[in-house]
Amino acid sequence: MNSTTMNMEIYLQLTQFYQDYAAAVDAADWDSWIEMFADDCTYRIQSRENHERNLPMAALSLDGKGMLKDRIYGITETIFHDPYMQNHVIAAPRILGLSPDLIEAQANYAVFRTKNDGIAQVFNVGRYIDRIRQTADGLRIESRICVFDNDMILNSLIYPI
Amino acid sequence: MSENWIPVSELEAIPDDDVIGVAVNGHQIALYKVDGEVFATDNVCSHGQALLSDGFLEDGEIECPLHQGRFCIKSGKAMCDPLTEDIRTYTTRVEGEEVMLLLD
Amino acid sequence: MSNDTRIPLQPVWDQPDTSRIPFKVYTDEQTHQQELEKLFYRNHWCYVGLEAEIPEPGDFKRTVIGERSVIMVRDNEGMINVVENVCAHRGMRFCRKKHGNAKELVCPYHQWNYDLKGNLQGVPFRRGVKQDGEVKGGMPKDFKPAEHGLTQLRVAQRGGVVFASFDENVEPFEEFIGPQMLHYFDRLFNGRKLKLLGYNKQRIPGNWKLMQENIKDPYHPGLLHTWFVTFGLWRADNRSELKMDEHHRHAAMISTRGQGGKNAQTTNVSSFKEEMKLNDPRFLDVEVEPWWNGPTAVMMTVFPSVILQQQVNSVSTRHIQPNGHDSFDFVWTHFGFEDDTPEMTERRLRQANLFGPAGFVSADDGEVIEFSQEGFEQKPFHRSLAELGGREIEETDHMVSETLIRGMYEYWRKQMEV
Repeated sequence: MNSTTMNMEIYLQLTQFYQDYAAAVDAADWDSWIEMFADDCTYRIQSRENHERNLPMAALSLDGKGMLKDRIYGITETIFHDPYMQNHVIAAPRILGLSPDLIEAQANYAVFRTKNDGIAQVFNVGRYIDRIRQTADGLRIESRICVFDNDMILNSLIYPI
Repeated sequence: MSENWIPVSELEAIPDDDVIGVAVNGHQIALYKVDGEVFATDNVCSHGQALLSDGFLEDGEIECPLHQGRFCIKSGKAMCDPLTEDIRTYTTRVEGEEVMLLLD
Repeated sequence: MSNDTRIPLQPVWDQPDTSRIPFKVYTDEQTHQQELEKLFYRNHWCYVGLEAEIPEPGDFKRTVIGERSVIMVRDNEGMINVVENVCAHRGMRFCRKKHGNAKELVCPYHQWNYDLKGNLQGVPFRRGVKQDGEVKGGMPKDFKPAEHGLTQLRVAQRGGVVFASFDENVEPFEEFIGPQMLHYFDRLFNGRKLKLLGYNKQRIPGNWKLMQENIKDPYHPGLLHTWFVTFGLWRADNRSELKMDEHHRHAAMISTRGQGGKNAQTTNVSSFKEEMKLNDPRFLDVEVEPWWNGPTAVMMTVFPSVILQQQVNSVSTRHIQPNGHDSFDFVWTHFGFEDDTPEMTERRLRQANLFGPAGFVSADDGEVIEFSQEGFEQKPFHRSLAELGGREIEETDHMVSETLIRGMYEYWRKQMEV
């Protein structure tokens, strides 16, 4: 962390925010998921290989809340897929930069996938690289890049992680 | 400034047409004797981690035991793949029974 | 066959044509091994990558042909070589990095050392060790390094794309592709330098042929992929053509985008959703490019290893990498062209959201392949139908045909001698 002193209140607020995020995606509460983002947000799910080689391609690359809404419409209405449950385990956040408006933070995550007839599988493991705005309405994601370690996605990735 | 001549080996310790390795002030040096004349180069190959003194001296070239790269022992020049870098050579002279090496 | 529920030992084709495909071709491990040998390792050119992935001397990329690991590497003269990733000494699959830059190829086990063409350069202690004035051990005197290089594959490059073959006697690449398909190949890879945008990779638990079939099947896109239908990217009433090479192994589905929206052909298709509107139209911010020469989508299957995609501004290669009869890795390499503006690059990246393992229209392809495989595994004595458009094999000027699938299996039966 840079010169700013650690602020316990913000740390707790951020930790709660991350757990709220996990709860929203695990419950498939997509309206709440969308509302955690700023209007001009960026959301990407990108392989670590692309990320570390500075290749811009991502498995999913959404800019702005409109695209988030279109994605949710896609997963609920148009993309045929085997339904599955998600369980996110998000590690304690690591704050890398703090200003009155913005928190730069990262956190490791693991997503387990359980299909209707199946057992839980480790589906996606990686790290969130975040820029989180402090607004009057609470924290909002300005940018979240989910950089995942898996070389192969297990067939398809439907829901946000 | 006086030249830094260092005794490195007895002459007879180097077999004819062969090579030995010595350590001089922490440097690994290969000493060669060809037709009674002594030559010296770095002993560590510029390619892999190997001592040239474990290699084979033929026709004025030392062949590294690891990947068969060959250096000219007079010039230090890398003569073939997989070598891409030359090695350093050193000036020697024989004083009586002692081989002296010029180290800067 | 339909009344016989005994599981055959081999795929049984119960009629001369290929309109009914035995499930066993997807479920039999022995058939799979024969396919690897006859379709991937002999007689065929397989995709390995793009020149743009290894621009500098020493750059390498590890990939596979069938189930054999290979390294595509650019040597000091700038030539591209493809060598098998198996050490000539003790057979170790020595290259572990996925990509990088190297001066030489070295197996760490015993440091056997190869140049960037795969020639053996040096063998540690080839001449033994000197001990007590004697030389001990080492390789036999008649050991010839020239005979112990890495397996060097034949390499073909065209338009910035690299193919390789284990088969010394494989026909020239241009003949392999054939003049009809070469036309579409050259349309996409017309000599402009390619710019690598990155990869998407997915492991699909199904037989590899199902992916070839998926891109030889113009029946499903308008039905499975609602996105395509609604926005007119792929519809039964689009102006379209199905073409093949003379062996019917490669194919192209060529389509020109319609207007989208409602009309007679699509309103009775269940997945068509009239109320669907994009919140953000940038997903489909299509800009017509001059090189298209008309078609908005050309999906080309090069048998057996790769699919070449142009879907409006999104261009990619999709590499089929089998692992067993019931699984394959599917590696998408997205690219652009050197003369792309930043806006065009942005557009290609944005449209890539439609494709790949998370894609609006491609994620479901992986899903249906997985569940097809499940169906085959439970009923291996049965067969699937590919009779749409008749039982013959012919090029068409419409999309309502499974002719390309029949064509592929006609070729498959010849090659597999069944």
